[in-house]
Amino acid sequence: MNDESGREGLVPRRINWRKTLRKLWFALLVLLVVAVTIAPVYFMVSLSIMDPSDFFRPDPAYYPRHPTTQWWDRVLKSDTLYPAFTKSLTVATVTTIVAVLISTPGAYAISRMAPKVKYVLILALFFTRMYPEIGIALPVAVLFLRMGLYESAAGLVLAHLILVLPVCAWILVGAFETIPRDLEEQAAVDGASRLGTLWRVVIPLAAPGISVAAIFTWLLSWDEVTYARFLTLLHPTLPIQILDIIGRSGPTVVATWATIVTIPVVIITYVMQRWLRADYLAGAVKG
Amino acid sequence: MATAELARPWSSSVTQSIRDFVRKHWFEIALVSPLFLYVFGSTLLPVLASILLGFQAPPRGGDFPTLRSYDLVVNSYEFVSAMTNTVIITFASVGLELGLGLMIAMMMARRFWGRGAFRAIMLLPLGIPVVVAASNMRYIFLSSGYLNQALMDLNLIAQPIDWMKEPYVLFTVAFTDTWKVTPLVMLILLAGLESIPTELYEAAEVDGASAWRRFRHITLPLLRPAITSAVVIRGIDAFRIFAHPMGLGVSRTTPVLSTFAYYEYQRVYWTTSAATSTILLVMILVTVVLYVRRAGTEEIAG
Repeated sequence: MNDESGREGLVPRRINWRKTLRKLWFALLVLLVVAVTIAPVYFMVSLSIMDPSDFFRPDPAYYPRHPTTQWWDRVLKSDTLYPAFTKSLTVATVTTIVAVLISTPGAYAISRMAPKVKYVLILALFFTRMYPEIGIALPVAVLFLRMGLYESAAGLVLAHLILVLPVCAWILVGAFETIPRDLEEQAAVDGASRLGTLWRVVIPLAAPGISVAAIFTWLLSWDEVTYARFLTLLHPTLPIQILDIIGRSGPTVVATWATIVTIPVVIITYVMQRWLRADYLAGAVKG
Repeated sequence: MATAELARPWSSSVTQSIRDFVRKHWFEIALVSPLFLYVFGSTLLPVLASILLGFQAPPRGGDFPTLRSYDLVVNSYEFVSAMTNTVIITFASVGLELGLGLMIAMMMARRFWGRGAFRAIMLLPLGIPVVVAASNMRYIFLSSGYLNQALMDLNLIAQPIDWMKEPYVLFTVAFTDTWKVTPLVMLILLAGLESIPTELYEAAEVDGASAWRRFRHITLPLLRPAITSAVVIRGIDAFRIFAHPMGLGVSRTTPVLSTFAYYEYQRVYWTTSAATSTILLVMILVTVVLYVRRAGTEEIAG
């Protein structure tokens, strides 16, 4: 680019066709990738407000020509929505609280270990993600059937913890690593106990990182399918509810359910982005 | 008691050093143990139980050890098709994700107008629940769906194609997985791309290397660690694919290993379900070990 600007005064300006063509091709590629990425989500929202006369025909309309709220009315009034919604909400929230309680101390300890030990421990945690979930879900389901935990929210929380703990701990290790050890040494000099230091100095500083881990954990549990499929039948979570109606209801109803499951995720992801931008350490280091 | 008595002479030094270790690191051990006990207890024990259950008599266990469950599984037509489907879908989706992920990562590494918005849109699928991602694809891939409609509007096909039937359905499942996780692969590869020093490209440009040669001889070799981790992470997940065929509504007609194991469990054939999950575990382990070893030796050789 520099050599061209140098030549500019000598050679009369003309359009560089090769360059323009390449730019055009790049722009088309960007548009294509964007279209493919957005299309499924666009059609979901579009179908949820589409009149049957627009979709159930040989050439379905690309946009709702006659928008209708009938699918939303029907799904919001359905007596399966609220139990599933409450179950998903309860399981995701309790899973998150327990996961953060268990992994915060563990992740803090790992973050303060020698790099080699830290690496091995994190790798060991992630190694558990290699097992097929069906191989874990089956014996757990058999056990829960015997213990009366099948269908229960408590059982699902116990199962979801298997999935979320390594991820939650991994994010938290990263969060604790950003907190300078000087602060802890300072607290120790001031006579704080190790637990006191963790509770009063480290955890408040890591709060934004803990929030990110918590939100991530919540989303993992909210979206989870395999354990929920194995461990519930008559009292499913929202994603399982969608799986159950796919064969039974038309695309417009499924699209409405799908939109309902997605809305909390979109809101939460938006909130998370604000947290991620927070420059949370600046104050503590300067002060 | 007797064994403890016998063990004492040599074990005293061992117990002593364990005691010293615990005394020195009791705080760390106390903090870490709930996490590790739960994670390992709740994965290793069930997997072990699954493996043992697979060697018991169908449908619900007992008569250990026997190979009758494996016999039943291996001779079932559905299992064989689940196995081939799983392998094909895994290779197709990992290949697609790697290719598209690399393409989008390289697009993202450029500066262009609207790059911020492009980035935000590219990350959108990460926030969409798997079941939603899969059920959304139905509107597109159903024979009365939008893909056929668009292809017919563009005069590319005369008759609608049934994307939900073999052989197209394998592509449909792979594409669904690709749509959902390409952003993740892209992020891994983008991190790798950004770690390549720009001086290398500048030097190659001065030497007159074409864009393709720069890609072939700088980008690809230096990206290999990122590609390896992306392939391992994605490959493991693709082998375990479960929600996508379910959400597409094709899990009955086009089984994969995980859905096959689920339907076995659902009809209370626990042992065959366990045998299937053990086969899947072995497949994952063998593939990962082979791949990592190959990628590792290539790295040493290169």
